[in-house]
Amino acid sequence: MRRSGLPTLITFVVVVVGLVAAVLAAGWSPLLGLDLQGGVAVVLKPTSVADEEQISQAVAVIRNRVDAIGVAEPDITIQGGNVVVQLPGVKDRERALELVGSTAELRFRPVLQTFPNPELLAPVTSTTVGSVSGNGANVTSTSSVPAVSTTVAATSTSKNEQSLGLPGGAASGEYALGPLPRRQSTPAPSTTSAPTSGDTTTTVGGVTSTTVTASTVPASTTDTIDMSWPPVTPRDEDTNDATVILPEYDRKTRQETFRYALGPTLVTGDALVAEKTQATLDPSNGQWLVEITFKDGDENVGTWRQAAAACYQASNPQVCPTGRLAAVLDGIVISAPSVNSTFSTGNNAVITGSFTQDEAKELAQKLRYGALPVQFERQQTQDVSATIGRDALKAGVAAGLIGLAIVAIYILVYYRILGLVALTSLGLSFGLLWAIIAWLGETRGLALSLSGVVGIIVSIGVSIDSNIVYFEQIKDDMVGGRTMRSSAQRAFHGAMSTIIKADLVSLIGAVLLYWLTVGPVKGFALYLGLSTLLDLVASYFFMRPAVLLLSQSGLAARRPSAFGVRESRGHQGAEATA
Amino acid sequence: MSGLRRLFRGENNYDFVRLWRYGLTASAAMVVLSVGLLLLRGLNLGLDFEGGTAWDVPTSSLSVSETRDVLRPLGEAESKIQTVGTDLVRVQSGTTDPAKIQEVRQALAGAAEIDATQIAVTTVGPSWGNEISNKALRALVLFFIAVSLYITFALRDWRMAVGALVAVVHDIVISIGVYSLLQIEVTPATVIAFLTILGFSLYDTVVVYARIKDNTPMVSVAGRMTYTEMASLSLNQVLMRSINTSLTAVLPVLSILVVGSLIFGATTLQEFGIALLIGLLVGVYSSIFVATPIVAYLNERSPAYRTVRERLASKPTGEPRRAAGRKAAAATVAAAETPAADSGTTSGKKLPAGYSASHPPRPRKNKRR
Repeated sequence: MRRSGLPTLITFVVVVVGLVAAVLAAGWSPLLGLDLQGGVAVVLKPTSVADEEQISQAVAVIRNRVDAIGVAEPDITIQGGNVVVQLPGVKDRERALELVGSTAELRFRPVLQTFPNPELLAPVTSTTVGSVSGNGANVTSTSSVPAVSTTVAATSTSKNEQSLGLPGGAASGEYALGPLPRRQSTPAPSTTSAPTSGDTTTTVGGVTSTTVTASTVPASTTDTIDMSWPPVTPRDEDTNDATVILPEYDRKTRQETFRYALGPTLVTGDALVAEKTQATLDPSNGQWLVEITFKDGDENVGTWRQAAAACYQASNPQVCPTGRLAAVLDGIVISAPSVNSTFSTGNNAVITGSFTQDEAKELAQKLRYGALPVQFERQQTQDVSATIGRDALKAGVAAGLIGLAIVAIYILVYYRILGLVALTSLGLSFGLLWAIIAWLGETRGLALSLSGVVGIIVSIGVSIDSNIVYFEQIKDDMVGGRTMRSSAQRAFHGAMSTIIKADLVSLIGAVLLYWLTVGPVKGFALYLGLSTLLDLVASYFFMRPAVLLLSQSGLAARRPSAFGVRESRGHQGAEATA
Repeated sequence: MSGLRRLFRGENNYDFVRLWRYGLTASAAMVVLSVGLLLLRGLNLGLDFEGGTAWDVPTSSLSVSETRDVLRPLGEAESKIQTVGTDLVRVQSGTTDPAKIQEVRQALAGAAEIDATQIAVTTVGPSWGNEISNKALRALVLFFIAVSLYITFALRDWRMAVGALVAVVHDIVISIGVYSLLQIEVTPATVIAFLTILGFSLYDTVVVYARIKDNTPMVSVAGRMTYTEMASLSLNQVLMRSINTSLTAVLPVLSILVVGSLIFGATTLQEFGIALLIGLLVGVYSSIFVATPIVAYLNERSPAYRTVRERLASKPTGEPRRAAGRKAAAATVAAAETPAADSGTTSGKKLPAGYSASHPPRPRKNKRR
């Protein structure tokens, strides 16, 4: 039984000081939340019921967008079904908000040229040669405008392509002109695999085969397939009027499969009637297809008809040399079907291409909402200027320091040397807290917000309280006539059990709040919980041994008043004064 | 010796049983008043609960009326305009139209002769407030359940869970009442602060209960105290702690409030500060004057403690009963010998001189390590 807690005490102090020093040495400092350093925050709520997967897909898309505009430490989290996007220190607020909050504009651009990813081509080699060559032919045809009708036939059978047709019209096979590749596990497909659809791996397969084909069957390749790998157009140059190079990804593997040279935007998503974009089953052949409907008017369906006229059989090579029209979202090609009708009447079109049900639904969803799988509405946007943020931080720190100073004076006057113990204990747990906050900021990108600062300030009271509970228990024991020395030993048990019980209540609250709430409440709960936990640690590893040591010192025996306690004069008639 | 000195020395011995009567009456009155206020006046819900947009303009050169003039051409003259501290003007309106928001921002920036990016803008959808409060409410209900279970388990007395919950609800109702009375704006910061208060109030209550539980063995067939008297004694024992703790908690909060509202014009801090201050005070009060009497009341009705009470009541000589001061209490647990009778007075504020001098320090359950 260790009566002197000196080793514990020293170890604890050394550990704390070491940690703080380590954090300092590593140059870490707490990451400030955006209400403290300025920036933009937005809380997005799905407008309809969305499952977790959809939300995390949305988060991925939003993260891509944010990365594209170069925000230093974006914090994008899912909190209670909402997506919370925090962009501290962001410069172009309007643009950032627009990018994050809105579903991106859908653009239809004519495909000028197709570039398969050379990295995917290289390792491909041995893929099922038979089908490959066949597909290769397809591919070629796809990319090179109207040329290969024969290939087409093959293609249609291999059910890999997409095409844009009239509703109820021919299945993809018929208009094989530039069918978009839609590969299921079939390695076949021609050019593109919509990244959207679940076909991922297949795409790769398709791509691969394409490659192979390209190399093995030079004849067909000739026209448009280019083995070069042009750079993707940067986002800010991706305007409607520009000719751009944009990538297509395989959604599952996230590998880039193709890049396309695309002409100026011919039709925008505004022309679509979102609610009428849907996946349906074609009753005539049991195939899934995506129906799209355009709004009336020259600026809507009119643009569509012009585009279709230009692309149909590449009738206007100036505008649409490949006969394919790519749907582009967020600078990414989601589908590049060939056009198999002029759409001179009616407002409807269908995209066919041997989709599975999931693929069709996903494509429809993308066309409907943009790249986000669910539609969001902005619940709250906060745009904090750097000045106001800094002021809030200053105010918070000042309030904390002033509060601490007053508490320190009070506690020192009241408990004297024991007060010093309480303050040292507080200082140590604050040091630990600071190290943890810095660590969280550095490794988890977890920022300290104003509500967190308030949580910490409030926890000053709770931390000091642990000491007070102990000290009062000691005093209480001493009233019973004990010496400080023996009181300090005995009182700790009762005190610690009280401290643990009470702190656990705080912890339960903090955990539940953290778990169940959104935004600022969460930050607050985190820091309140952390400091409560540290309070327990400091009580056990510092307060107890420190007080025990002090109580055994000669000073405690000679001048208990230095500890704010009074040795009971019970035996000499303490109550005489009562 | 003055009350303060007695407190400091841990020799206070207030008759809480008597005080409880006043306390409970006052609490009931305040709760009724609060509910009435809430029904009649309602709450001043902030932007986050109503939906709309707030612009914070860091300027000292614009007055409220000048700001209104700036907004008039934009059709936003009905906006709520306040100056916060000396160098911040806050404009709030119900609009959430992004274009309008930018217009107002530009106009305000022009009038204040600052860059538009220096103006902080917060836009809130109309359902956000509900979202926050619903989530907070759900968290709250779960929190109550968890804490009840915890208290029942840790203190082995479900009555304490009841007492703690009643006290907490009491705190919330009264805090809301104060918000309604003063028409202070309710913001998310307020919600957070209230949640904190709950935690604090419960924390405080648990500290009191822990002591009551430690003292419970005093109320036994051989003992000289009813449960109620023991509870009162326990309160006396933890009173100094409660006062000190409350002070050390209130001082930083006061600092938040003062610094936040007067010195830097940091409105969020101010919002936190007000709610925390109100809640802390009510919370400390309720653990003494609401939570404890409820537990005492409930326990007096449990068979074991009722027996003790009846036996004590029937004793003709009477015992020093409530007069059992802290020293006496210590002795009670330890020694069974009868202390000097105190003529059965129930007020017993003081002990006879030399009363406990005859007792050696109590040997207690040794848990020394």
